[in-house]
Amino acid sequence: MNTVALTGNPNTGKTTLFNLLTGSYEYVGNWPGVTVEKKVGRLRGMQGLLVDLPGIYSLTPLSKDEGVATGYLLEENPDLLLNIVDASQLERNLYLTLQLIEYGKPMVVSLNMVDVAKSRGYEIDAKKLADKLQLPVLPIVARTGNGCEKVREAIKHGGVTPSDLQINYGDIIEQAIDKLSFALSFQTDLTMPKRWLALQFLEGNEVVTTFLEKRIDIGLLDQIYQQTVEQCRKTGLVKNHSSLQPYMRQIRSKVISEIIASCLTQKHRVEKTWTDRIDNIVTHRLWGLPIFLLFMFLAFKLTFEWVGVPLSDLLDGFLGGPFTDWLRVGMESISLSSFLQAAILDGAVAGVGGVLVFVPQIFVLFLIISFIEDSGYMARVAMVMDKIMEMIGLNGKSFIPMIIGFGCNVPGVMAARSIEQPKERLLTIILTPLMSCSARLPIYSLFVGTFFAQNQAIIVLSIYVLGIVLSLILAKLFSIFLLRHESSVFFIELPPYRMPQGRTLIRSTWEKGKGFIRKAGTFIFGGSIVIWFLSYAGPGGLDVSMNDSFLAMIGGVIAPLFTPLGFGSWEAGAALLTGFLAKEVVVSTMNIIYAAPDALSLQSLLESQFTALGAYSFMVFVLLYVPCLATVAVIRKETGSAKWTWFSVVYGLAIAYLVSFLIYEGGKLLGFA
Amino acid sequence: MVLTDVKKGQKVQIVDITNVNALIRRRLIDLDVVEGTMVKIKRVLPFGGPFTLEAGGQLFGIRRREAKMIEVSY
Repeated sequence: MNTVALTGNPNTGKTTLFNLLTGSYEYVGNWPGVTVEKKVGRLRGMQGLLVDLPGIYSLTPLSKDEGVATGYLLEENPDLLLNIVDASQLERNLYLTLQLIEYGKPMVVSLNMVDVAKSRGYEIDAKKLADKLQLPVLPIVARTGNGCEKVREAIKHGGVTPSDLQINYGDIIEQAIDKLSFALSFQTDLTMPKRWLALQFLEGNEVVTTFLEKRIDIGLLDQIYQQTVEQCRKTGLVKNHSSLQPYMRQIRSKVISEIIASCLTQKHRVEKTWTDRIDNIVTHRLWGLPIFLLFMFLAFKLTFEWVGVPLSDLLDGFLGGPFTDWLRVGMESISLSSFLQAAILDGAVAGVGGVLVFVPQIFVLFLIISFIEDSGYMARVAMVMDKIMEMIGLNGKSFIPMIIGFGCNVPGVMAARSIEQPKERLLTIILTPLMSCSARLPIYSLFVGTFFAQNQAIIVLSIYVLGIVLSLILAKLFSIFLLRHESSVFFIELPPYRMPQGRTLIRSTWEKGKGFIRKAGTFIFGGSIVIWFLSYAGPGGLDVSMNDSFLAMIGGVIAPLFTPLGFGSWEAGAALLTGFLAKEVVVSTMNIIYAAPDALSLQSLLESQFTALGAYSFMVFVLLYVPCLATVAVIRKETGSAKWTWFSVVYGLAIAYLVSFLIYEGGKLLGFA
Repeated sequence: MVLTDVKKGQKVQIVDITNVNALIRRRLIDLDVVEGTMVKIKRVLPFGGPFTLEAGGQLFGIRRREAKMIEVSY
């Protein structure tokens, strides 16, 4: 089986090419660091696998996701490297290409964004570039799929093994390479060239260093390194640094300049690009932040008032009306037992249907998030927010995981990997669950529809804003009290804007949203039946009255705790308990408990149980209390620490209780009850 | 002269980046923004916010604190 590894700089269209070549769909965004873990797809039209590695500028890793690529090259043995190169940033991109050539595996270079390069006035002679690199170089436009057929052909032919282009790094470095190669001569299991290992080691690649330390005496490694640095310093090749990296970079840059000179010509100068014009508006000194807030406000209007809710209402009418009727008729015609009929209608349909009706709203929200990601606006939001984030001990990049967290906290927590600084990364991870994910949306929708019908968007927006504000306050507190002070840093690449293509938007919205539907079909389906059974059975046997059921007993135990928060009923307690599995289960549980055939009748039942103030307090509690099961698991995985995982659960509960208490009791004092 | 002394839109050459925070320096080097590179300040966000810079057609953002550490000349 052939394995092809796809490598390239961040934001060069790697994932787009991956999708074209594999036919499957992966997550694409227009901001650096979308691919945080390596992804594998089956190559279309041939035997073999394509591995999508995180974007890197060089093989020397800086943040955690960059280490994945180097680690892959060390541990796996790909048959071919597919290197994607951004034609509009050729000089910078070729640096990685040179390092990959030294890896010695057959290669194919695909020159992407030739259209962008052209619009900036650059003309690249792909033939000459291919001559210089001694590799196949194929111009493509991944976004439209132009030229990708040729890439597929080249992969089929197995690429070309790099040979002639061996860079001479000067006598001192070359000697060190020889020494290291000699030290490695008994290591017969190495699949990569010793020269490449030696070069990466001398450049200061920590992943490679760890790899070598297991094979060569550490004292010898250190001795070779120190000797080389000393010699370079004596001859003036290395100045005050103790690192060889700048010197080695200089040599490679010289080679790159020669390559560029032979194949790149600038036809004309472009003074003002579209990206400039848009940036002048959206990152304007004064309007930048208001524009972002307005954008978010419109997003909520779209989701809750203009598009999402009307569609949800239609779906609700269908599920609660014709669909339930057909199902009932169908079940009676095959004379299903009344127990099973109840399990299906009162359990599965109520639980799953109660969640499914919110699919339109969730998809509208995901569509908007996809648009922000794909257009390039995301990186600008990070710029605009950086000052505020700096004040609380984070940086503008932390805002990206938070926005993704609005869709779902799980990818949000994972997106924090692109943050370089460990403390800022940890803080971002434990605060992302305060971002109100789409699974919490059904709960708000239900409650605002019942209690705040006139101001749905603004009330829901206030919940989202509360989550953001609290996360900012907590970030400040945590960075003062819990984490020792490390200097905060910020660096972000600003990709050129592009109009997201309809096809990409639809696919990426579907990819984000399908998990929600799948969850409804499996997890929530099963959970609903269990919850229904707990409400159907009790100490007194089956088919007991709801108030004598097991569920009422369980909910009743914790209900008194919630009385000061304004929702001390066993129904609310039971719903919150089950909500830990997945937040939307809160709605499923309520649908089952209140045995409501549709949203309308559920709403009227809720009105008899909650006051408007209690409902608001309940929504706030749902926003803040423990992250859902999947999020807790990913926090555990990403932090690698049980302590921080427990911390994120416990502080969530504490904050939820405190804030809901203040809102409910404060609201009563102000006369809102 | 350091980068923060330069007017918006003025193109300058980088002389020294050794004083920049190590993490940021690595990122600058990654983008091929090194000694000798021409850079331009495109935009400055208010209240001491970050700078948008351009080098070789690539846009990127850094904080004022880091921009202050970049030595430049005309």
